[in-house]
Amino acid sequence: MTIGLLRRAFLLGAGLAAALSGAATAGEYSLTVDPVTVDTGAFTRSGIGYNGATPGPVLRFREGEDVTIRVTNNLSEPTSIHWHGLILPFEQDGVPGISYEGIAPGETFTYRFPIVQSGTYWFHSHTGFQEPDGAYGAIVIEPTKREPFRYDREYVVQLTDAHPHSGNRIMRNLKMMPDYYNRKQRTLFDFLRDTREQGFDAALSDRSAWGDMRMMPTDIEDLQGFTPLMNGKSSAQNWTGLFTPGERIRLRFINSSAMTYFDIRIPGLKMTVVQADGNNVLPVPVDEFRIAVAETYDILVQPKEDTPFAIFAESMGRTSSVRGTLATAEGQKGDIPDLRKPPLLTMADMGMAHEGMDHGAMSMAGGTHTMPDGSAMKGMDHSKMAMPVGAHTMPDGSTMKGMDHSTMDMGTSDPFYAPGSGLMPTAANGGKFLSYNDLRTQKPLYPHREATREIELRLTGNMERYMWSINGIKYADAEPIRLQYGERVRFKFVNETMMTHPMHLHGMWSILDTGKGKWNPVKHVVSVAPGTTLFMETEVDAPGQWAFHCHLSYHADSGMFRKVIVEGGPEGKAAALPVKTEG
Amino acid sequence: MSSSSILGAVLGASLSFALLSSGPALAAGSHGGGHGMHDMKIGKPGDPAKVSRTIEITMYDNYYEPESLDIKEGETIRFVVRNAGEFVHEFNIATAAMHEAHRPEMMMMMEHGVLEPDRINLEAAKAMQASMGHGMHNEANSVLLEPGKSGEIVWTFPKHADLEFACNVPGHYETGMHGKVKLSH
Repeated sequence: MTIGLLRRAFLLGAGLAAALSGAATAGEYSLTVDPVTVDTGAFTRSGIGYNGATPGPVLRFREGEDVTIRVTNNLSEPTSIHWHGLILPFEQDGVPGISYEGIAPGETFTYRFPIVQSGTYWFHSHTGFQEPDGAYGAIVIEPTKREPFRYDREYVVQLTDAHPHSGNRIMRNLKMMPDYYNRKQRTLFDFLRDTREQGFDAALSDRSAWGDMRMMPTDIEDLQGFTPLMNGKSSAQNWTGLFTPGERIRLRFINSSAMTYFDIRIPGLKMTVVQADGNNVLPVPVDEFRIAVAETYDILVQPKEDTPFAIFAESMGRTSSVRGTLATAEGQKGDIPDLRKPPLLTMADMGMAHEGMDHGAMSMAGGTHTMPDGSAMKGMDHSKMAMPVGAHTMPDGSTMKGMDHSTMDMGTSDPFYAPGSGLMPTAANGGKFLSYNDLRTQKPLYPHREATREIELRLTGNMERYMWSINGIKYADAEPIRLQYGERVRFKFVNETMMTHPMHLHGMWSILDTGKGKWNPVKHVVSVAPGTTLFMETEVDAPGQWAFHCHLSYHADSGMFRKVIVEGGPEGKAAALPVKTEG
Repeated sequence: MSSSSILGAVLGASLSFALLSSGPALAAGSHGGGHGMHDMKIGKPGDPAKVSRTIEITMYDNYYEPESLDIKEGETIRFVVRNAGEFVHEFNIATAAMHEAHRPEMMMMMEHGVLEPDRINLEAAKAMQASMGHGMHNEANSVLLEPGKSGEIVWTFPKHADLEFACNVPGHYETGMHGKVKLSH
């Protein structure tokens, strides 16, 4: 299965170096980038992998070590590897055209950087659509200090959305016909049913609004027809993690999908979330959680019975799922639950239901948002999004009074979705569904302070032409975002599209504002739901130039992408940047 | 001590913990026997004069040192508990089932803002008292401590019991913050 074995050797001099410097060890690693065959059981296709396999190997680093990673490109095209979520010098970040030139066919590129963090991360190609084609693997970094939790064994659980078409072909099809892969389009019969239920005028005006948005209520997954895989295996292939009853198991979930969010549960087991995006959080017991593209969540479970448990990942649009099994013996299979009913986007997800929305707190001037078609939406005040208090006005005009989030009634409202959103997650068993609002960092990485400035980034798109952009401008036409070393920048994401966008800033942490002050979780991906505004803050402490983009592969490629340039920095740390006026 | 006295008056038996801000135990010996059922199963508050030894417990995020206890049946122990972590932790002696029953109460305290990650909010505790009508007294089998604080429990163990010491702050037990009490004959 694995052709080039992962090699790990400590340098002979490491002991001496450690004696002199205190801690540093040095690890050497090799990766080959290889053509491979992807076999999902449902289809077989050619793809790209590492060390002869997809997913690639799990790279295990130690916090404090200096790693040397030799990457040999055995493809007939250029490639690259980006170390997703790792804090490192920008030349080592692996984005062609921003960090370096990439790795030509037949060449070996040597990455060298110190490991300054711990937790669960991953790596993937940042070239073309090699990542959707299989070029991804996991990174596990052991901390120098004891973890704030105990477990008896651990597994990486890496998800993807393998598609029978190559990434290039998918992009061509989407450009030609944006709903090419949307199999759940509404029909005339749906319209007639709406007419019956809402009356003709309402149904028609609803339809017309959707038409103006150039979107459809079923546009939750603009790429369907994929086979979800768990550690490279479909439901039938049944990835299995063994356990002994009573053991506490750490599962390191990584969503390496090109386009697909998953809702994950293990029927019969309570999960305790202990880490998000590599950083420990105060533990949160949950029944189910949603993992955005490119996020990671580490959870603990403690199965006590001698019986198989299904690890069930259902796509957010409910078009597909994958089951793996926690088993006490090979060959056991957890039961596969039925797919739940597909959600329909609502007017709230279009941002149309926000008239007069009043969340009560943190008053800021309501903005006017220009929609992709040029129409204006008045009085929307997204700035209060994250405040889970007060009365919520629902899209139908009714008011939910006295919603009490402090009771044990978990379930129906998550302030990180537009009120009334069709995407609002609920747990299959009626229990607790994780929200961003539940995440509190275990260890604040920076002192909490006021941001020095705010940058608004409107997430924009034109579905009809499958164009995705930021502030209405696609990457090819955009100026870089320039930041100054030492700033704390507050990014305001205003999602004006109906898609959910997992935004990923390279090189620096994304401190998600959940209103928890110093406990705000520290992430590398923040997911912005339709019709919402979300804030994150970044301590600008990494000189150089970095990528900043939506992690949905086909959105990033079509233009929802920016280059960020960090200017200045302390002596010896400032990056030697290319002279200005690059495009 | 004054702040803990206020809280002691405010928080209830159904929340079943004792709060110590520092120094000698509020809980130890102050328990009037209102929860007799515990005495049978898990032992009882001990007489300080009969303490056979002192065991120091250090609470970290999220684990204890030591990680298990060896105790003789009927022995009376003084536990000196120190929170060396950065978050609020509990040292609570009970059966696994009692700990499990206690966790939703701790969750409720967190949701009412009484239990913050690194402090106990006395104002929120008063508000919770006012709105929910809990007004009880302390439990002698546990201490709930803010970071940097220490407390004491004097406890007499029973002859036979399946006991654990545990922290029921939401998520802490689940992530491994509990240990066995091994009773020897």
